[in-house]
Amino acid sequence: MRPSGFLAKTSALAIKDLRVELRGRDTLPPMLAFAFTVALVLAFAVPELPATARPTKLTVALAYVEAGFLWITVLFAGLIGFARTFEVEREEGAIDALLLAPVDRSGLFIAKAAANLVFVACVEAVVVPSLALFFAIDLGAGWLPLLGVIVLVDLGFVAAGTLFAAVAAQTRSRELLLPLLALPTLVPVFIAAIELTADLFLGAAFDDMAGRGWFAILLAFDVIYGVVAALTFELALD
Amino acid sequence: MSSQGAARRSYSDVLGLAAWASVAVALYLVFFVAREADISMGGQLQRIFYFHVPAAWISYLSFAIVFLASIAYLRTASRRWDLLAHSAAEIGVVFCTLVLITGPIWARPVWGTWWQWDARLTSTLVLWLTYVGYLFIRNLTTDGARAGRLAAVIGITGFVDVPIVHFSVQWWRTLHPSGPTVSNPAADSGLGGAELAAFFASLAAFTLLFAWLLSLRTRLGRLADRVDSLAVATESRNPAEPQRVPAGNPVGEAT
Repeated sequence: MRPSGFLAKTSALAIKDLRVELRGRDTLPPMLAFAFTVALVLAFAVPELPATARPTKLTVALAYVEAGFLWITVLFAGLIGFARTFEVEREEGAIDALLLAPVDRSGLFIAKAAANLVFVACVEAVVVPSLALFFAIDLGAGWLPLLGVIVLVDLGFVAAGTLFAAVAAQTRSRELLLPLLALPTLVPVFIAAIELTADLFLGAAFDDMAGRGWFAILLAFDVIYGVVAALTFELALD
Repeated sequence: MSSQGAARRSYSDVLGLAAWASVAVALYLVFFVAREADISMGGQLQRIFYFHVPAAWISYLSFAIVFLASIAYLRTASRRWDLLAHSAAEIGVVFCTLVLITGPIWARPVWGTWWQWDARLTSTLVLWLTYVGYLFIRNLTTDGARAGRLAAVIGITGFVDVPIVHFSVQWWRTLHPSGPTVSNPAADSGLGGAELAAFFASLAAFTLLFAWLLSLRTRLGRLADRVDSLAVATESRNPAEPQRVPAGNPVGEAT
């Protein structure tokens, strides 16, 4: 298969998913509303601390809690959306037509994962500013590194989430099984994401963060799960 | 088929006898030969170690078997590998549960806490959750062949996660030390000859017990398969029986 053909077909499938969403608006608006509501409720759990110039034990602990809240919100909203991606294909029996698409199954996986990546990015576009506002976090120059963290987290999250969504979609209790499968697997991503985000909330310099190896964990997860998921996806769908 | 089955059964019986005998020897060594450890390792309580560590070894062995059998199943589509993976996963979850129960029982008096977010503890817990999910996939999928494929995908992705989880929790913990540091009980407990003998006897007993359980569980799976295929065969031989519509009442008129 020509690489351009593969790319064109894969992006056509991804664009198909996004177009369905644009016309139906079944998945993204509920995801965004859910994420915003969860962020709001979590904000009530965060105490107000007196402002200090340098980090104290209390502010460090708070930064970790806030980073955890941010990623829990993204994780849960994302999983809800991932479960929908195959639900949509099931409802009208569209999954059979999708499987007939003249593209390698790994292309199908990439297309589904790409659409999910867009959904998660939209959720983050809402959640990150809302939480920064609710928690009164001033990131300063930390926005750019945070964007890097988000991209690295999203790639692994979407790769594992899309694969497990395909697996869970074929069992009897779909919605319940997806978090059970995805959350334990995502533990390393979650830990690394919280560590890096908390550092940024505390105003750490990028070089210090990069030196701590969490980026390596995220990268390793992204690469391993990207490959394993693309390889095993077709077995989950047959 | 039947002679093969009989050979398997006698093999399994020998394995069972060996397992029980080694369990008896191991219990004797653990409780009557091995000396009490010093108080820093929990005194009498340290004997949990002879059960805890072998159980951990068996659960890791089981999950490695699940991983390899899953790959073999996806390559060959042979029911034999699928059954092996399923059996190993069930036994692995049982032993992993034992690890997660015996660990805190020992840790509470010795560390002063039931649980530490140590790398080894955390990755064992994550592993346990992963294979509980694996068994859920098995039980919540109606079609047998599909259940095998989906479970194999989880068996592979779950095992691939083990090193990543291990490194991430290790760094996470080393960067935030709080409370007592967790030491490996085997490394610095100064086990003498009697204790080592008890430990290795226990390890051998657990391994034999595991092999026996695995042979019983796969045999059970084969028998269940045979019952299914016999049921299908009987049904196709008497096609009249399962039909609910009485003779002389064509289907068309019923509606």
